[in-house]
Amino acid sequence: MATNACVPRLARPEPRSIGWSLLLTLPILVWSLLMFFHPGGATGRQSQIAAGLTALFMTALFFMMMRTGSTYRWRRWFFVSLGLLFPVGFIYNIVLARGTMGIPMEEMIAGRTPFCFIPIPLLILPAALTRTLVFPGTIADTQHGIAAMVGLWLALTLVLGRGWCSYACFFGGIEEGVAAIPARPRIRKIDPRWRYGPWAVLLAMVLLSLALFEPAYCMWLCPFKAVSEYVAARNTIGLVQNGIFILLFAGLVIALPFLTKKRTQCSFFCPFGAFQSIFNKISVFEVKIDKERCKPCQVCQNVCPNLSLSKESIAHGEVLMSCMKCGACVDACPRQAVVWHIKGTEVAWKPERARLMFLYAAWAVAIMFGGSIIAQGIATILHFIL
Amino acid sequence: MARRLVIACYRSQTGAGKDDDDPRMALSAHFGEALALGLASGPACIAACGPVLVPSLLTERAGLRPNARYLSVFLSARLLGYMLFAVAAWELGALVSLPPGPRVLLMGAVNVLLAGVLLWYAWSAKYICGASCASSKLVKIGEKKNRRAAGPAALGLLTGLSLCPPFVAAGVRAAELGSVAQALLFFFFFFMGTSVWFMPFISMGCIARNEAVITVARMAMALIALYYISLGIAMLIGRKTYGY
Repeated sequence: MATNACVPRLARPEPRSIGWSLLLTLPILVWSLLMFFHPGGATGRQSQIAAGLTALFMTALFFMMMRTGSTYRWRRWFFVSLGLLFPVGFIYNIVLARGTMGIPMEEMIAGRTPFCFIPIPLLILPAALTRTLVFPGTIADTQHGIAAMVGLWLALTLVLGRGWCSYACFFGGIEEGVAAIPARPRIRKIDPRWRYGPWAVLLAMVLLSLALFEPAYCMWLCPFKAVSEYVAARNTIGLVQNGIFILLFAGLVIALPFLTKKRTQCSFFCPFGAFQSIFNKISVFEVKIDKERCKPCQVCQNVCPNLSLSKESIAHGEVLMSCMKCGACVDACPRQAVVWHIKGTEVAWKPERARLMFLYAAWAVAIMFGGSIIAQGIATILHFIL
Repeated sequence: MARRLVIACYRSQTGAGKDDDDPRMALSAHFGEALALGLASGPACIAACGPVLVPSLLTERAGLRPNARYLSVFLSARLLGYMLFAVAAWELGALVSLPPGPRVLLMGAVNVLLAGVLLWYAWSAKYICGASCASSKLVKIGEKKNRRAAGPAALGLLTGLSLCPPFVAAGVRAAELGSVAQALLFFFFFFMGTSVWFMPFISMGCIARNEAVITVARMAMALIALYYISLGIAMLIGRKTYGY
């Protein structure tokens, strides 16, 4: 670890001028308008108001990122909104279509289950060994078919790596919101071995999915079933499954984030997060630590919502492969030693340019996925108000 | 010697043995069928045994030899399970003709036992420092004490007794054979066919073992054990596991 006192502490960069920030925001404004007001998009008064509000919201947040140079707190507004509004729109639509949040087996067999990205790693082995998809959805006949969604996910993942978990996941926002509530964590000491939890869940669920020929995680362990669509409980097993969903949601998404100020479900449990970490090795965007500037104050380690920094990794000038690229450590570092970085360049080579390039990609994804979900949630609320 | 025994069994059951009969051909057809059934059922067997085999194998030492040793114990015990099943299948007629109640109870008991062994194995498997340790030789001395055959043997036996679909199919066929010896041999050849699919697991010895790998494997074993135990208990208390 470099502790050279001669390396000067850098002053916080001055905020960008409003004009320059607006200019940088322009592409995002155009993208928002394309996404929300394309022909055949929002129809109906509520939907159009919701689309307009969402476009404004997403563009304003990006403008603030450009103006202030800070990433995490503005991204959090988007992410928490996404987490809270997803169940609103989803539950409304599912109840409208089915009359209940519970999904019966006949609906699953008929392939009328909405697509979710979390079972993607569970599909691989059964598909490779038996040429069968164990996810009960349509494969290719709609724009939300499994083939289209998996292809889209792969393309975006190659760019963002595990940044997906901070800009595209519609589940993580709830726990990030809960983690933001207390001023200080009640539980400070967390055994670092819990970081291996998502890998263990991934291994167990991949193997069980192959053995049971069903997406085992969705059937038994997904905490977000509690706020999306649960198993229609027609027997004891169904009741047990729903009990597990509710307990996991209460523990991992509500109680533990409140006590630790960490995204505990994402950090210790989510198998998709572990799978997504592998793509951090491929993605060109990453977070690095400039060892010349770093004084091991551990501020970055403490603020990381995902335990993706350790003493050893800081000493190596790297974050762990579970990094979600949320930007909390970059914003918190008092010496600007934690920087955005593009693979293949020097560590401290134009970090702001690396940040901009990453944010354009990530925010475009955020608008495309999260934005449409936020708009749907707002439209649902407006439907009840107006 | 074994072949003579088989032929003697066949002749004693069928009265064959004249020159115009060819018991060897008939037996070859039976056992060829068992081998083919085993080979065809291999992916299903891997799928059924994978949740038990993969994490427990990951808690072993790195290297092809330790993994091959583990796998041989596991498969031998699995063969024993097959043989027990063959005897039961032959004695009881097709095991699938058992009323659903006792069959579910049997499966429930096997699942609970499997979960118990998995939990014990996950609990007892410790991270053993390999070549990166300064005193790896000393560690290896202690390591031999920790290595045990009971774990893989119990896991192999219990997975060998689980009623996966190809296994039941083999049980039905074995029950139709003329003698218990033939049923045993039928399952032996079925076992040989399925075991071919397990050979690639030896290559898991190439995966480096460190604290992360061992911890992940132990946690995964505990999770899988929880699944089996909940399923087993549900079966034992007589609930339907499916049929929403």
